[in-house]
Amino acid sequence: MKTAKIVLSLLLIIIAIALVGYTLSSQGDLRDLVMRLDPQNLSSADSRMLKARDRVLDGLAEGDRVRDLRNLDRYLEDYGPQLALDGENGLELFVYRNGPSLLAAGIALAVIGAALLVSQLDKLAKLRRPAIYLALAAVLYAGVYIVENIAGSSSMLMTVLKKGAIYALIAVSMNLLNGFTGLFSLGQAGFMLVGAYTYAIFTIATDSRAQVYQYYDGGLVQFALPTLVAIVLAGLVAAFFAFLIGLPVLRLKSDYLAIATLGFAEIIRAIFQYDGLGPITNGSNLLRKFTTFDTVLFPFAVAGVCIALIVMLIHSTYGRSFKAIRDDEVAAEAMGINLFRHKQMSFVISSFFAGVGGALLAMYQTTVQASAFKASMTYEILLIVVIGGMGSITGSVLASFLFVASSEWWLRFLDNELVIGGVQVPLLRSGFRMVVFSVVIMLMVLFYRRGIMGDKEFNLKRFLQPRVRKGGDVRG
Amino acid sequence: MTDFIGANLPYLLGGISVGGQYALIAIGYTMVYGILRLINFAHGDIFTVAGFLMVYMSATMPLAVSLPLTIALTVLLGFLVERAAYKPLREAPRMSIMISAIGVSYLLQNLMWYITGGLAKQYPRLPWVSDSVTIFTATTKVVTLVTPVLTLALVIALVQLINHSRIGMAMRAVSKDFETAKLMGIKIDRVISITFIIGSFLAAVGSALYFTNYTAVTPTVGAMPGLKAFVAAVFGGIGSIPGAVIGAFIIGVSENIIKALGLTTFSDAFTFALLILILIFKPTGLFGEAATDKV
Repeated sequence: MKTAKIVLSLLLIIIAIALVGYTLSSQGDLRDLVMRLDPQNLSSADSRMLKARDRVLDGLAEGDRVRDLRNLDRYLEDYGPQLALDGENGLELFVYRNGPSLLAAGIALAVIGAALLVSQLDKLAKLRRPAIYLALAAVLYAGVYIVENIAGSSSMLMTVLKKGAIYALIAVSMNLLNGFTGLFSLGQAGFMLVGAYTYAIFTIATDSRAQVYQYYDGGLVQFALPTLVAIVLAGLVAAFFAFLIGLPVLRLKSDYLAIATLGFAEIIRAIFQYDGLGPITNGSNLLRKFTTFDTVLFPFAVAGVCIALIVMLIHSTYGRSFKAIRDDEVAAEAMGINLFRHKQMSFVISSFFAGVGGALLAMYQTTVQASAFKASMTYEILLIVVIGGMGSITGSVLASFLFVASSEWWLRFLDNELVIGGVQVPLLRSGFRMVVFSVVIMLMVLFYRRGIMGDKEFNLKRFLQPRVRKGGDVRG
Repeated sequence: MTDFIGANLPYLLGGISVGGQYALIAIGYTMVYGILRLINFAHGDIFTVAGFLMVYMSATMPLAVSLPLTIALTVLLGFLVERAAYKPLREAPRMSIMISAIGVSYLLQNLMWYITGGLAKQYPRLPWVSDSVTIFTATTKVVTLVTPVLTLALVIALVQLINHSRIGMAMRAVSKDFETAKLMGIKIDRVISITFIIGSFLAAVGSALYFTNYTAVTPTVGAMPGLKAFVAAVFGGIGSIPGAVIGAFIIGVSENIIKALGLTTFSDAFTFALLILILIFKPTGLFGEAATDKV
């Protein structure tokens, strides 16, 4: 019986994937279809028809779905009978017209299938857990891919998802340090800056260097690295900086450490803006024209892999040592944990991922300037970590998306003046969004100190099967 | 010789003046740290708020009203911040209070941005202190000369208050041992409030002097002087008022020497380099008490 259910659920998921895949591919193929419908057998002198076809193609190129459909309707209405619209072409047209509902149906099927699968979880639990996580990740990525194709790559939702993924990585890297090792460091913006600059410097296309480095004769670096290599390099350089800075700083205690790391971040910012380094860093000018990404899957993939690596680290012996240091330094040392070495490791690794996050942020922004990486950026990330819960990876990830979504999207309306019935709503004008936002954060810091997740992690099984309270219900 | 003096005197005078302004802010940090063991990240923003209050009030009121009112409102703000954001976390881990301070700083900056629309405001000209004066060959504003004198006068008054008054004694007791002071019947909350009031008062005075020199007020302008004043407090030995003042003067002067050498980009970086050096070689600062680690 159970096997039947699992087979059924897998079948549903496969059908869903096929449906979604076919819908998406036929959306891309419409251009071909319209070209194929080109009336070759008719006289091409039929210029009105060609014009109508071009309108459809123009609409397609602009990605304006509504106008595109209207043009298509008119085209088919006028010339449909003369066109060779056979069964296969007809099906493609049908799929294109009903794209959104078909996608919705596909997603619904996938959700039903997944739910069915999950309800058989105890059977699946015998599989190795990584397999489950991989499957979940695949479903997540497929979902993001579908949503991106429906909503369009430049929509607000996608902007939030891109920035949210990047912030999630940076927040998790900071949480590794502050939440898991108990080192109150405020240098994250500095390491992000190092990562962002390293990435940007090494991926500017060779022929645009003269333009970017116009005040420095085209700059010193005259080659471009592949994107992924540059991202890893960004992390490595940030880690190297962290190694050097950590040597003196990590011997300091809590709030002195905070101030010293904050100070180092400021020093790094000053150095990168220094005119003498202009041939490399472009002084205080913008770096631009480097490789960027346009699909949301890229930051999701990079951030996903990095966060997975951090989670694995936390679950390792090293991770347990970090937690021991956080809980009680003296006891940890007595148990034979080398305090300095472990602190250094945590600091360097955290900075590596902050550097990678900085590189992604550079790609997201398409330009980099050192002056943006101020202490307030570190504060924002610290607040994300606190909102999510110190010592919870899932909390940090969740809080990043919430933070970015509310600051960029959901609270936008607070920045626009609003008139209801001839009366201007008071207070609403530019900047009010951030005031409301920071008041909410303050309230959380004061009254909800443990954050969304505390130091717990999100657990799928517990989420689906709420724990039954012992002793049963008391009924009156 | 006169050329040398003429070329360098403005920097030296500027350094002493800005040092005095840092000193007034640094006292706020050092006193709060001495009592609560809290780096009050919002202190620099309170300093900025004082600047904006003055900008807005001097537009409608005469100086004799606007200046005292600015100081009074800044003091009130400092008091309210402590009551609202730090007092509820008295029993919480120290990290939580520090995060709360960062939150207050974030809130104040966003609030100032909202009210001012993010534009720089011109600080009003104060009579007499904004006038130009020529010493030897160097031309400067009167405020440059007034600042060190006023700073020293205020510091001496403060030290007298701390050493020779009941509330001063209470402050010393609380900073020595928080728990014992509480048990001995000292009203901790009152002492802490007064600490914040004194700190905010000095920040307001410092702000009036600082913005007479650097007249553009923006929402984030206080962040840098705030951090530097904190460095000064650490440099002098956190918790020690004379230490903070001497540290502030040293930082102000060396910063201006670096500017005179043409390395303006590094004047901020230098301050933090100094901080890191002192933390490594003498973590207790110039005049700080040796801290003992309790296991």
